Amino acid sequence: MPSRSAATWEAPPPLPDGHYVSGRVYRDERMFAEERERIFKKVWHFVCHESEVAEAFDFRTVERADTPLIVVRGGDGRVRAFVNVCSHRGARVAMEPGGNARSFTCFYHHWTYDTEGACVSMPRPEGYRGTPVRKENMGLREVRTEVKWGFVFVNLDDDCAPLDRFLDGALDIFDRVLPDADLEVFHYHRAEIDANWKAYQETIVDLYHEFMHVILRDTQMPAASMDDREMRTYANGHVTIAGLKADYEKYEGWRRRDHSTCLPGLDPDDARFAPLFPAQTFIARGTVMRVDTVQPITPHKCLIESRGLGLKGESPEDRAMRIDHHNEYWGPFGRNVTEDAFAAEGCELSFGKGAAPHGIIARDEDGRGQCDSGLRGFWAEWSRRMGRPASHPTND
Amino acid sequence: MSSGDNAVRELIYRSCRCLDTHDFDGYIALCAPAFRYRIVVYSPELRKEMIWLNHDRDGLAALLAAVPRHLARLGSLQRNATVYAIERDGNGGPARAVSAFSVFDIDNEGRPSVFAVGHYHDAVDEGGARPLLVARDVRLASRDLGIGSHVPI
Repeated sequence: MPSRSAATWEAPPPLPDGHYVSGRVYRDERMFAEERERIFKKVWHFVCHESEVAEAFDFRTVERADTPLIVVRGGDGRVRAFVNVCSHRGARVAMEPGGNARSFTCFYHHWTYDTEGACVSMPRPEGYRGTPVRKENMGLREVRTEVKWGFVFVNLDDDCAPLDRFLDGALDIFDRVLPDADLEVFHYHRAEIDANWKAYQETIVDLYHEFMHVILRDTQMPAASMDDREMRTYANGHVTIAGLKADYEKYEGWRRRDHSTCLPGLDPDDARFAPLFPAQTFIARGTVMRVDTVQPITPHKCLIESRGLGLKGESPEDRAMRIDHHNEYWGPFGRNVTEDAFAAEGCELSFGKGAAPHGIIARDEDGRGQCDSGLRGFWAEWSRRMGRPASHPTND
Repeated sequence: MSSGDNAVRELIYRSCRCLDTHDFDGYIALCAPAFRYRIVVYSPELRKEMIWLNHDRDGLAALLAAVPRHLARLGSLQRNATVYAIERDGNGGPARAVSAFSVFDIDNEGRPSVFAVGHYHDAVDEGGARPLLVARDVRLASRDLGIGSHVPI
Protein backbone atom coordinates (compact mmCIF):
# COMPACT_ATOMS: atom_id res chain seq x y z
CA MET A 1 0.00 0.00 0.00
CA PRO A 2 1.50 3.36 -0.97
CA SER A 3 1.15 6.58 0.99
CA ARG A 4 -2.38 7.84 1.68
CA SER A 5 -4.52 10.66 0.35
CA ALA A 6 -6.11 13.32 2.56
CA ALA A 7 -9.41 11.44 2.45
CA THR A 8 -7.99 8.12 3.60
CA TRP A 9 -5.77 9.88 6.16
CA GLU A 10 -8.73 11.68 7.74
CA ALA A 11 -11.15 8.74 7.53
CA PRO A 12 -11.67 6.70 10.68
CA PRO A 13 -9.44 3.62 10.72
CA PRO A 14 -11.20 0.39 9.66
CA LEU A 15 -11.23 -0.80 13.27
CA PRO A 16 -13.88 -1.33 15.96
CA ASP A 17 -14.76 1.87 17.87
CA GLY A 18 -12.79 0.99 20.98
CA HIS A 19 -9.63 0.33 18.99
CA TYR A 20 -8.80 3.90 18.03
CA VAL A 21 -9.27 7.41 19.44
CA SER A 22 -10.01 10.68 17.73
CA GLY A 23 -7.27 13.30 17.80
CA ARG A 24 -9.89 15.79 19.00
CA VAL A 25 -9.82 14.35 22.50
CA TYR A 26 -6.35 15.84 22.96
CA ARG A 27 -7.15 19.42 21.92
CA ASP A 28 -10.85 20.26 22.19
CA GLU A 29 -11.42 23.10 24.70
CA ARG A 30 -15.01 22.07 25.47
CA MET A 31 -14.07 18.47 26.18
CA PHE A 32 -11.20 19.69 28.34
CA ALA A 33 -13.64 21.67 30.50
CA GLU A 34 -15.99 18.67 30.64
CA GLU A 35 -13.16 16.42 31.79
CA ARG A 36 -12.73 18.61 34.87
CA GLU A 37 -16.42 18.38 35.80
CA ARG A 38 -17.20 14.79 34.77
CA ILE A 39 -13.91 13.10 35.61
CA PHE A 40 -11.56 15.06 37.85
CA LYS A 41 -14.26 16.35 40.21
CA LYS A 42 -15.77 12.88 40.52
CA VAL A 43 -12.87 10.46 41.09
CA TRP A 44 -10.59 9.67 44.00
CA HIS A 45 -7.20 11.37 43.74
CA PHE A 46 -3.97 10.40 45.43
CA VAL A 47 -2.73 13.61 47.06
CA CYS A 48 0.18 12.68 49.31
CA HIS A 49 1.68 9.97 51.45
CA GLU A 50 1.13 9.89 55.20
CA SER A 51 4.87 10.42 55.75
CA GLU A 52 4.44 13.92 54.31
CA VAL A 53 2.09 14.73 57.19
CA ALA A 54 3.69 12.44 59.75
CA GLU A 55 3.30 14.58 62.87
CA ALA A 56 0.26 16.25 64.37
CA PHE A 57 -0.43 19.58 62.61
CA ASP A 58 1.79 18.73 59.60
CA PHE A 59 0.18 19.91 56.40
CA ARG A 60 0.64 19.82 52.63
CA THR A 61 -1.04 21.98 50.03
CA VAL A 62 -1.94 20.44 46.67
CA GLU A 63 -4.34 21.07 43.82
CA ARG A 64 -6.79 18.69 42.18
CA ALA A 65 -9.37 19.57 39.51
CA ASP A 66 -8.23 23.20 39.70
CA THR A 67 -9.22 23.18 43.36
CA PRO A 68 -6.55 24.11 45.93
CA LEU A 69 -6.51 21.79 48.93
CA ILE A 70 -4.92 21.62 52.38
CA VAL A 71 -4.17 18.12 53.65
CA VAL A 72 -3.51 18.27 57.38
CA ARG A 73 -3.07 15.87 60.26
CA GLY A 74 -5.11 17.10 63.18
CA GLY A 75 -4.19 17.01 66.83
CA ASP A 76 -6.31 13.84 67.03
CA GLY A 77 -4.03 12.11 64.52
CA ARG A 78 -6.62 12.03 61.74
CA VAL A 79 -5.74 13.23 58.25
CA ARG A 80 -8.32 15.58 56.76
CA ALA A 81 -8.51 17.65 53.60
CA PHE A 82 -10.12 21.04 53.05
CA VAL A 83 -10.52 23.37 50.13
CA ASN A 84 -7.71 25.89 50.61
CA VAL A 85 -9.96 28.91 50.21
CA CYS A 86 -10.98 31.35 52.92
CA SER A 87 -14.76 31.45 53.55
CA HIS A 88 -14.59 35.24 53.60
CA ARG A 89 -13.20 36.61 50.32
CA GLY A 90 -11.71 33.56 48.58
CA ALA A 91 -8.03 34.05 49.30
CA ARG A 92 -5.72 31.09 49.80
CA VAL A 93 -5.56 30.19 53.47
CA ALA A 94 -2.29 28.24 53.41
CA MET A 95 0.33 29.55 50.97
CA GLU A 96 3.27 27.24 51.68
CA PRO A 97 3.64 23.82 49.99
CA GLY A 98 4.05 22.19 53.40
CA GLY A 99 4.73 22.84 57.04
CA ASN A 100 3.42 22.43 60.57
CA ALA A 101 0.69 24.72 61.86
CA ARG A 102 -1.88 24.49 64.65
CA SER A 103 -4.06 26.94 62.78
CA PHE A 104 -4.25 28.67 59.42
CA THR A 105 -4.72 32.42 59.30
CA CYS A 106 -5.78 33.95 56.02
CA PHE A 107 -3.28 36.67 55.12
CA TYR A 108 -6.00 38.97 53.78
CA HIS A 109 -8.32 39.71 56.74
CA HIS A 110 -6.90 37.32 59.35
CA TRP A 111 -9.77 34.88 59.59
CA THR A 112 -8.29 31.86 61.35
CA TYR A 113 -9.14 28.14 61.01
CA ASP A 114 -8.07 25.19 63.10
CA THR A 115 -6.83 21.86 61.70
CA GLU A 116 -10.36 20.44 61.79
CA GLY A 117 -11.60 23.19 59.47
CA ALA A 118 -13.48 25.27 62.04
CA CYS A 119 -13.26 29.04 61.81
CA VAL A 120 -11.96 29.92 65.27
CA SER A 121 -11.60 33.66 64.99
CA MET A 122 -12.36 36.65 62.82
CA PRO A 123 -11.27 40.19 63.67
CA ARG A 124 -14.00 42.59 64.82
CA PRO A 125 -16.93 40.18 64.46
CA GLU A 126 -19.36 42.79 65.73
CA GLY A 127 -19.31 44.27 62.25
CA TYR A 128 -21.47 41.32 61.13
CA ARG A 129 -24.22 42.00 63.68
CA GLY A 130 -27.59 41.17 62.20
CA THR A 131 -26.15 38.85 59.54
CA PRO A 132 -25.64 35.06 59.57
CA VAL A 133 -21.88 35.58 59.27
CA ARG A 134 -20.53 34.10 62.48
CA LYS A 135 -17.37 32.07 62.96
CA GLU A 136 -19.52 29.07 63.96
CA ASN A 137 -20.83 28.67 60.40
CA MET A 138 -17.85 29.96 58.43
CA GLY A 139 -15.65 26.83 58.51
CA LEU A 140 -13.57 25.58 55.60
CA ARG A 141 -15.12 23.20 53.09
CA GLU A 142 -14.06 19.66 54.01
CA VAL A 143 -13.33 17.14 51.27
CA ARG A 144 -13.86 13.37 51.42
CA THR A 145 -10.58 11.81 52.53
CA GLU A 146 -9.47 8.20 52.95
CA VAL A 147 -6.07 6.68 53.69
CA LYS A 148 -5.13 3.29 52.23
CA TRP A 149 -1.81 1.69 53.13
CA GLY A 150 -0.43 5.12 53.97
CA PHE A 151 -1.56 6.76 50.74
CA VAL A 152 -3.92 9.70 51.20
CA PHE A 153 -6.76 10.02 48.68
CA VAL A 154 -9.39 12.72 48.35
CA ASN A 155 -12.59 13.08 46.35
CA LEU A 156 -14.25 16.42 45.64
CA ASP A 157 -17.63 14.73 45.22
CA ASP A 158 -19.35 14.52 48.62
CA ASP A 159 -21.61 11.77 47.27
CA CYS A 160 -18.87 9.54 45.88
CA ALA A 161 -18.58 5.82 46.57
CA PRO A 162 -15.90 4.70 49.07
CA LEU A 163 -12.29 4.56 47.88
CA ASP A 164 -12.12 0.76 47.84
CA ARG A 165 -15.08 0.56 45.51
CA PHE A 166 -13.39 3.05 43.18
CA LEU A 167 -10.11 1.12 43.27
CA ASP A 168 -11.89 -2.16 42.48
CA GLY A 169 -8.86 -4.10 43.77
CA ALA A 170 -6.37 -2.47 41.39
CA LEU A 171 -3.86 -1.73 44.17
CA ASP A 172 -3.99 -5.36 45.31
CA ILE A 173 -0.99 -6.14 43.11
CA PHE A 174 0.91 -4.45 45.96
CA ASP A 175 -0.88 -6.36 48.73
CA ARG A 176 2.32 -8.20 49.62
CA VAL A 177 4.23 -4.92 49.58
CA LEU A 178 2.30 -2.00 50.96
CA PRO A 179 0.61 -3.39 54.10
CA ASP A 180 3.99 -4.54 55.46
CA ALA A 181 6.14 -1.65 54.27
CA ASP A 182 6.46 1.43 56.45
CA LEU A 183 7.17 3.79 53.59
CA GLU A 184 8.50 7.31 53.45
CA VAL A 185 8.71 9.81 50.59
CA PHE A 186 12.31 10.80 49.82
CA HIS A 187 11.79 12.33 46.39
CA TYR A 188 9.30 14.88 45.12
CA HIS A 189 9.33 16.94 41.99
CA ARG A 190 6.87 18.67 39.69
CA ALA A 191 7.26 19.05 35.96
CA GLU A 192 5.06 21.09 33.68
CA ILE A 193 5.19 19.73 30.15
CA ASP A 194 3.69 20.81 26.84
CA ALA A 195 1.26 17.94 26.33
CA ASN A 196 -2.32 16.95 26.99
CA TRP A 197 -2.56 15.06 30.30
CA LYS A 198 -3.87 11.93 28.59
CA ALA A 199 -0.88 11.73 26.26
CA TYR A 200 1.46 11.48 29.25
CA GLN A 201 -0.74 9.00 31.12
CA GLU A 202 -0.86 6.83 28.00
CA THR A 203 2.92 6.38 28.12
CA ILE A 204 2.45 4.51 31.40
CA VAL A 205 -0.15 2.09 30.04
CA ASP A 206 1.34 1.64 26.56
CA LEU A 207 3.82 -1.26 26.85
CA TYR A 208 4.40 -1.26 23.09
CA HIS A 209 6.49 1.89 23.53
CA GLU A 210 9.22 -0.07 25.34
CA PHE A 211 11.14 0.12 22.07
CA MET A 212 11.60 3.86 22.65
CA HIS A 213 13.61 3.41 25.87
CA VAL A 214 17.20 2.18 25.72
CA ILE A 215 16.98 0.95 29.31
CA LEU A 216 13.88 -1.12 28.59
CA ARG A 217 15.40 -2.56 25.42
CA ASP A 218 18.48 -3.51 27.45
CA THR A 219 17.00 -4.60 30.77
CA GLN A 220 13.33 -5.43 30.39
CA MET A 221 12.41 -6.71 26.94
CA PRO A 222 14.94 -9.57 26.88
CA ALA A 223 14.60 -10.36 30.61
CA ALA A 224 11.66 -12.72 30.45
CA SER A 225 9.12 -14.05 28.04
CA MET A 226 6.53 -11.50 27.04
CA ASP A 227 3.99 -14.19 27.97
CA ASP A 228 4.90 -13.89 31.67
CA ARG A 229 3.38 -10.45 31.81
CA GLU A 230 -0.20 -9.87 32.73
CA MET A 231 -2.12 -6.71 32.00
CA ARG A 232 -5.48 -6.54 33.77
CA THR A 233 -8.19 -3.96 33.39
CA TYR A 234 -10.66 -3.02 36.13
CA ALA A 235 -14.16 -1.67 36.35
CA ASN A 236 -13.26 2.01 36.67
CA GLY A 237 -10.59 2.22 33.99
CA HIS A 238 -7.68 1.18 36.20
CA VAL A 239 -5.00 -1.11 34.84
CA THR A 240 -2.40 -3.30 36.46
CA ILE A 241 0.70 -4.74 34.88
CA ALA A 242 2.55 -7.49 36.70
CA GLY A 243 5.06 -10.13 35.71
CA LEU A 244 7.48 -7.61 34.24
CA LYS A 245 11.09 -8.53 34.95
CA ALA A 246 14.25 -6.45 34.59
CA ASP A 247 17.94 -7.44 34.49
CA TYR A 248 19.30 -4.08 35.60
CA GLU A 249 22.94 -5.05 35.16
CA LYS A 250 22.36 -5.35 31.41
CA TYR A 251 22.49 -1.55 31.17
CA GLU A 252 26.10 -0.35 31.06
CA GLY A 253 27.12 1.12 34.41
CA TRP A 254 24.22 -0.32 36.43
CA ARG A 255 24.50 -3.11 38.97
CA ARG A 256 22.29 -6.04 39.85
CA ARG A 257 19.82 -5.21 42.62
CA ASP A 258 20.31 -7.02 45.90
CA HIS A 259 17.55 -9.26 47.23
CA SER A 260 18.19 -8.20 50.83
CA THR A 261 17.30 -4.59 50.14
CA CYS A 262 14.06 -5.19 48.26
CA LEU A 263 10.75 -3.81 49.42
CA PRO A 264 8.73 -6.44 51.30
CA GLY A 265 7.18 -9.01 49.00
CA LEU A 266 9.22 -8.05 45.95
CA ASP A 267 12.11 -9.71 44.15
CA PRO A 268 14.97 -7.56 42.84
CA ASP A 269 13.86 -7.90 39.24
CA ASP A 270 10.11 -7.40 39.89
CA ALA A 271 8.33 -4.50 38.25
CA ARG A 272 4.66 -3.85 38.96
CA PHE A 273 2.54 -1.03 37.67
CA ALA A 274 -0.90 0.17 38.69
CA PRO A 275 -2.03 3.10 36.53
CA LEU A 276 -5.25 4.30 38.15
CA PHE A 277 -7.87 6.21 36.21
CA PRO A 278 -7.63 8.95 35.29
CA ALA A 279 -4.05 10.04 35.87
CA GLN A 280 -2.22 8.50 38.80
CA THR A 281 0.28 5.67 38.77
CA PHE A 282 1.81 3.43 41.41
CA ILE A 283 5.00 1.63 40.34
CA ALA A 284 7.34 -0.65 42.28
CA ARG A 285 10.69 -1.82 40.93
CA GLY A 286 12.24 -4.27 43.41
CA THR A 287 13.84 -1.83 45.81
CA VAL A 288 11.94 1.37 45.27
CA MET A 289 8.51 2.77 44.58
CA ARG A 290 7.28 5.71 42.53
CA VAL A 291 3.88 7.40 42.57
CA ASP A 292 2.91 9.88 39.85
CA THR A 293 -0.07 12.10 39.33
CA VAL A 294 -0.87 14.17 36.26
CA GLN A 295 -2.97 17.33 36.51
CA PRO A 296 -4.49 19.00 33.44
CA ILE A 297 -3.57 22.68 33.06
CA THR A 298 -4.84 23.40 29.55
CA PRO A 299 -5.58 21.01 26.66
CA HIS A 300 -1.92 21.49 25.75
CA LYS A 301 -0.20 21.53 29.15
CA CYS A 302 -0.14 19.29 32.18
CA LEU A 303 1.63 19.06 35.50
CA ILE A 304 3.32 15.84 36.54
CA GLU A 305 4.02 15.27 40.23
CA SER A 306 6.44 12.45 41.05
CA ARG A 307 7.31 10.90 44.36
CA GLY A 308 9.91 8.29 45.25
CA LEU A 309 9.43 6.13 48.33
CA GLY A 310 11.72 4.00 50.47
CA LEU A 311 11.49 2.37 53.87
CA LYS A 312 11.19 4.55 56.93
CA GLY A 313 14.02 4.14 59.44
CA GLU A 314 16.36 2.33 57.05
CA SER A 315 20.13 2.79 57.27
CA PRO A 316 21.75 5.73 55.44
CA GLU A 317 23.45 3.23 53.14
CA ASP A 318 20.17 1.53 52.20
CA ARG A 319 18.49 4.89 51.68
CA ALA A 320 21.34 6.05 49.43
CA MET A 321 21.03 2.83 47.43
CA ARG A 322 17.29 3.29 47.07
CA ILE A 323 17.71 6.90 45.97
CA ASP A 324 20.28 5.79 43.37
CA HIS A 325 17.89 3.12 42.07
CA HIS A 326 15.10 5.69 41.90
CA ASN A 327 17.27 8.19 40.06
CA GLU A 328 18.54 5.65 37.56
CA TYR A 329 15.06 5.40 36.07
CA TRP A 330 13.09 8.33 37.38
CA GLY A 331 13.44 11.94 38.46
CA PRO A 332 14.37 14.87 36.18
CA PHE A 333 17.72 13.26 35.31
CA GLY A 334 16.49 9.65 35.09
CA ARG A 335 16.85 7.56 31.97
CA ASN A 336 13.14 6.79 31.64
CA VAL A 337 10.78 9.60 32.65
CA THR A 338 12.51 12.20 30.51
CA GLU A 339 11.82 10.07 27.44
CA ASP A 340 8.16 9.51 28.37
CA ALA A 341 7.67 13.25 28.69
CA PHE A 342 9.46 13.73 25.37
CA ALA A 343 7.02 11.25 23.79
CA ALA A 344 3.98 13.07 25.16
CA GLU A 345 5.31 16.41 23.91
CA GLY A 346 6.07 14.82 20.54
CA CYS A 347 2.45 13.67 20.19
CA GLU A 348 1.25 17.12 21.24
CA LEU A 349 3.03 18.64 18.25
CA SER A 350 0.60 16.81 15.95
CA PHE A 351 -2.52 16.05 18.03
CA GLY A 352 -2.47 19.54 19.54
CA LYS A 353 -2.79 21.19 16.15
CA GLY A 354 -5.07 18.70 14.49
CA ALA A 355 -2.45 17.15 12.22
CA ALA A 356 -3.04 13.66 13.60
CA PRO A 357 -6.68 12.65 13.10
CA HIS A 358 -6.55 9.38 15.06
CA GLY A 359 -4.52 7.24 17.40
CA ILE A 360 -4.59 3.45 17.04
CA ILE A 361 -4.87 1.23 20.12
CA ALA A 362 -5.64 -2.07 18.39
CA ARG A 363 -2.86 -4.42 19.57
CA ASP A 364 -4.34 -7.63 20.93
CA GLU A 365 -2.04 -10.07 22.74
CA ASP A 366 -4.65 -11.43 25.15
CA GLY A 367 -3.58 -9.06 27.91
CA ARG A 368 0.06 -10.10 27.70
CA GLY A 369 3.22 -8.94 25.96
CA GLN A 370 2.61 -5.50 24.53
CA CYS A 371 -1.17 -5.65 24.41
CA ASP A 372 -3.21 -2.43 24.11
CA SER A 373 -5.95 -3.76 26.40
CA GLY A 374 -4.92 -1.30 29.14
CA LEU A 375 -5.22 1.64 26.76
CA ARG A 376 -8.61 0.37 25.61
CA GLY A 377 -9.71 0.10 29.24
CA PHE A 378 -8.60 3.68 29.92
CA TRP A 379 -10.46 5.05 26.91
CA ALA A 380 -13.57 2.99 27.60
CA GLU A 381 -13.81 4.59 31.04
CA TRP A 382 -13.10 8.04 29.61
CA SER A 383 -15.89 7.50 27.07
CA ARG A 384 -18.32 6.29 29.75
CA ARG A 385 -17.73 9.23 32.05
CA MET A 386 -17.72 11.81 29.25
CA GLY A 387 -20.78 10.40 27.51
CA ARG A 388 -18.82 10.50 24.26
CA PRO A 389 -17.04 7.66 22.49
CA ALA A 390 -13.34 8.52 22.26
CA SER A 391 -13.28 7.25 18.68
CA HIS A 392 -15.81 9.87 17.47
CA PRO A 393 -16.47 12.28 20.35
CA THR A 394 -18.21 14.96 18.28
CA ASN A 395 -20.92 14.74 15.68
CA ASP A 396 -19.14 16.90 13.11
CA MET B 1 43.44 37.83 41.33
CA SER B 2 46.01 35.01 41.48
CA SER B 3 46.98 32.74 38.62
CA GLY B 4 45.59 29.92 40.75
CA ASP B 5 42.22 31.62 40.86
CA ASN B 6 42.31 32.08 37.11
CA ALA B 7 43.06 28.38 36.61
CA VAL B 8 40.13 27.42 38.84
CA ARG B 9 37.82 29.75 36.92
CA GLU B 10 39.01 28.34 33.62
CA LEU B 11 38.39 24.81 34.87
CA ILE B 12 34.81 25.62 35.87
CA TYR B 13 34.04 27.43 32.63
CA ARG B 14 35.56 24.62 30.60
CA SER B 15 33.41 22.07 32.44
CA CYS B 16 30.32 24.01 31.33
CA ARG B 17 31.50 24.19 27.76
CA CYS B 18 32.23 20.45 27.67
CA LEU B 19 28.66 19.63 28.73
CA ASP B 20 27.21 22.23 26.34
CA THR B 21 28.99 20.62 23.41
CA HIS B 22 28.56 17.01 24.59
CA ASP B 23 32.33 16.63 24.87
CA PHE B 24 31.88 14.09 27.63
CA ASP B 25 35.41 12.68 27.46
CA GLY B 26 36.65 16.22 27.84
CA TYR B 27 34.45 16.70 30.91
CA ILE B 28 35.65 13.52 32.58
CA ALA B 29 39.25 14.55 31.87
CA LEU B 30 38.65 17.58 34.11
CA CYS B 31 37.75 15.31 37.04
CA ALA B 32 40.17 13.75 39.55
CA PRO B 33 39.96 9.95 40.11
CA ALA B 34 38.14 10.55 43.41
CA PHE B 35 35.59 12.88 41.78
CA ARG B 36 32.08 12.92 43.22
CA TYR B 37 29.16 14.55 41.43
CA ARG B 38 25.80 15.30 43.03
CA ILE B 39 22.70 17.26 42.18
CA VAL B 40 21.13 18.47 45.43
CA VAL B 41 17.71 20.09 45.71
CA TYR B 42 15.82 21.32 48.75
CA SER B 43 12.15 20.36 48.73
CA PRO B 44 9.87 22.76 50.62
CA GLU B 45 7.12 20.17 50.12
CA LEU B 46 9.03 17.46 52.02
CA ARG B 47 11.01 19.96 54.08
CA LYS B 48 14.19 18.05 53.39
CA GLU B 49 17.08 17.90 50.96
CA MET B 50 16.87 15.52 48.03
CA ILE B 51 19.57 13.94 45.88
CA TRP B 52 18.61 13.91 42.21
CA LEU B 53 21.90 12.49 40.92
CA ASN B 54 24.92 11.03 42.69
CA HIS B 55 27.87 9.48 40.88
CA ASP B 56 31.55 8.82 41.26
CA ARG B 57 33.83 9.48 38.29
CA ASP B 58 33.29 6.05 36.72
CA GLY B 59 29.54 6.16 37.24
CA LEU B 60 29.30 9.60 35.67
CA ALA B 61 31.50 8.50 32.77
CA ALA B 62 29.19 5.52 32.13
CA LEU B 63 26.12 7.74 32.32
CA LEU B 64 27.59 10.26 29.88
CA ALA B 65 28.79 7.54 27.51
CA ALA B 66 25.22 6.24 27.25
CA VAL B 67 23.70 9.63 26.39
CA PRO B 68 24.00 9.21 22.59
CA ARG B 69 21.99 5.96 22.78
CA HIS B 70 19.03 7.71 24.38
CA LEU B 71 16.13 9.60 22.91
CA ALA B 72 17.53 13.12 23.04
CA ARG B 73 15.71 16.31 23.87
CA LEU B 74 15.64 18.61 20.87
CA GLY B 75 17.93 21.62 20.67
CA SER B 76 20.63 22.17 23.24
CA LEU B 77 21.34 23.27 26.79
CA GLN B 78 23.71 26.21 27.19
CA ARG B 79 25.31 26.89 30.57
CA ASN B 80 26.25 30.35 31.77
CA ALA B 81 28.34 30.39 34.97
CA THR B 82 29.89 33.11 37.07
CA VAL B 83 32.46 32.20 39.70
CA TYR B 84 31.58 34.12 42.84
CA ALA B 85 34.21 33.04 45.33
CA ILE B 86 37.33 30.90 45.57
CA GLU B 87 38.63 30.04 49.02
CA ARG B 88 41.54 28.00 50.34
CA ASP B 89 42.07 26.68 53.86
CA GLY B 90 45.83 27.31 53.75
CA ASN B 91 46.61 23.70 54.68
CA GLY B 92 46.91 22.31 51.17
CA GLY B 93 43.32 21.14 50.99
CA PRO B 94 41.28 21.56 47.84
CA ALA B 95 40.22 25.03 46.78
CA ARG B 96 36.51 25.69 47.29
CA ALA B 97 34.67 27.59 44.58
CA VAL B 98 31.08 28.76 44.46
CA SER B 99 29.59 29.72 41.09
CA ALA B 100 26.15 30.86 40.08
CA PHE B 101 24.84 29.25 36.93
CA SER B 102 21.87 29.46 34.66
CA VAL B 103 21.13 26.90 31.97
CA PHE B 104 19.21 27.94 28.89
CA ASP B 105 17.22 25.50 26.80
CA ILE B 106 17.59 26.46 23.14
CA ASP B 107 14.95 24.60 21.15
CA ASN B 108 15.21 23.46 17.54
CA GLU B 109 13.84 26.77 16.30
CA GLY B 110 16.44 28.68 18.31
CA ARG B 111 14.00 29.89 20.97
CA PRO B 112 15.61 30.23 24.41
CA SER B 113 14.00 29.52 27.74
CA VAL B 114 15.46 29.09 31.18
CA PHE B 115 15.96 25.41 32.01
CA ALA B 116 17.58 25.64 35.44
CA VAL B 117 19.17 28.06 37.90
CA GLY B 118 21.44 27.27 40.81
CA HIS B 119 24.97 27.17 42.16
CA TYR B 120 27.98 24.95 41.68
CA HIS B 121 29.85 24.15 44.88
CA ASP B 122 33.16 22.78 43.65
CA ALA B 123 36.22 21.33 45.33
CA VAL B 124 39.33 21.65 43.18
CA ASP B 125 42.64 19.82 43.59
CA GLU B 126 45.46 22.23 42.71
CA GLY B 127 48.28 19.83 43.58
CA GLY B 128 48.99 18.53 40.08
CA ALA B 129 50.10 19.96 36.78
CA ARG B 130 46.62 21.37 36.26
CA PRO B 131 43.64 21.81 38.57
CA LEU B 132 41.07 19.00 38.65
CA LEU B 133 37.54 18.80 40.03
CA VAL B 134 37.41 16.61 43.15
CA ALA B 135 33.76 17.20 43.91
CA ARG B 136 30.86 19.11 42.40
CA ASP B 137 27.60 19.68 44.21
CA VAL B 138 25.05 21.19 41.87
CA ARG B 139 22.60 22.99 44.14
CA LEU B 140 19.50 23.67 42.11
CA ALA B 141 17.30 26.62 43.01
CA SER B 142 14.77 25.74 40.30
CA ARG B 143 12.87 22.51 40.77
CA ASP B 144 10.57 22.21 37.76
CA LEU B 145 12.79 21.12 34.88
CA GLY B 146 10.06 20.26 32.39
CA ILE B 147 10.88 17.02 30.62
CA GLY B 148 14.27 16.90 32.37
CA SER B 149 17.62 16.01 30.83
CA HIS B 150 19.84 13.00 30.29
CA VAL B 151 22.87 15.27 30.52
CA PRO B 152 23.74 16.55 33.99
CA ILE B 153 23.97 20.24 34.75
